[in-house]
Amino acid sequence: MKPDTVVNFDVALIERARGGDAKAFERLYREHVGRVHGLCLRMTRNPDTAADCVQDAFIKAWKALPRFEARASFSTWLHRIAVNTVLEKRRGPARAEISVEDPGEYEEPTMVFDTPVEEEELEAAIESLPQGARDALVLCGLYGYEHQEAASMLGIAVGTCKAQLHRARGLLKDRLERGVR
Amino acid sequence: MTTRRVKGIGELPRDIPPARDLWPAIAEAIQADLAMKAVPDTRRRVGWWPAMGLAASVALVTVGVFIGKNFQSVETQPLVNTATPVRDAAVVKASLRQAEYQKQRDQLWTEVQAKLNTMSPAEREKVGASLTALKKSIKDIEDALGRDPANALLQELLVNSSQEEMRVLTTVRDSGRQEL
Repeated sequence: MKPDTVVNFDVALIERARGGDAKAFERLYREHVGRVHGLCLRMTRNPDTAADCVQDAFIKAWKALPRFEARASFSTWLHRIAVNTVLEKRRGPARAEISVEDPGEYEEPTMVFDTPVEEEELEAAIESLPQGARDALVLCGLYGYEHQEAASMLGIAVGTCKAQLHRARGLLKDRLERGVR
Repeated sequence: MTTRRVKGIGELPRDIPPARDLWPAIAEAIQADLAMKAVPDTRRRVGWWPAMGLAASVALVTVGVFIGKNFQSVETQPLVNTATPVRDAAVVKASLRQAEYQKQRDQLWTEVQAKLNTMSPAEREKVGASLTALKKSIKDIEDALGRDPANALLQELLVNSSQEEMRVLTTVRDSGRQEL
């Protein structure tokens, strides 16, 4: 995950919010809500569910602030809470684990197309992906998390995360009819 | 309608603001959380239960010491069997509420009041103050039980304090009888 550009700003707000300052927490919310909502929306594919998840995630974050370690990234911590909230909301049957013989085979989380694609078309293709593949793609490919971090957030093995990303890459290639590197 | 063209997943916007402001609902939950934290919780209340018990005990000891020093001891039959261990506080508490208990307690207080009137002003003040403190402690425990009726610790505290109250009242009433 790329380092936060607002870390120092956040630290002061986090300290104030920890002391019960709701205004400081509101500023943290304003700073991070777009990214958290984008993550939830792409994982849930439903605006209402995504909004619920965002609300729940920020309320959980408020309550968990005393346990937040200042040296950690606030946005990563917040995203972890949001992913967990989405997973709780799904309450579906356990996802089938996709194993890979060589987890090192699919290390590269970035995806570049041979020819440009319309943003809307790409979002629709991501939305059409199976849940496990979509989760891995959103966290690793879009939000820049390493497989280790993404796997930990999703509660799956690192190898499974890599395999899901590999699967997402193949499906996107088919759906967009473009080469994906 | 065409949208922006991108060459990779990483070019998609990470930030997607929600269609409506979600903060009011979050702020409401935060205010509720803050309000809940401001209200003393059960654990905090536990802090003064021992204090109430201690107050009752101090009052009992004061009365006991005073009686021991100033009056001959007499054999009295406790109205409540204090030797019986309290196995089921709820059951005992229920029995304490019975009309018979209240009647005996009221009668004892009347007799003790009469006894106090026969004491010297200094004795009356000391015993009276201790009995009042004891009565207040029991009232405080009863009030606490009113707020938390299922609390076994409070129930037991009430039973024990009530039993002690009866024993002390009986002792004060009967003090000096052998002198007659």
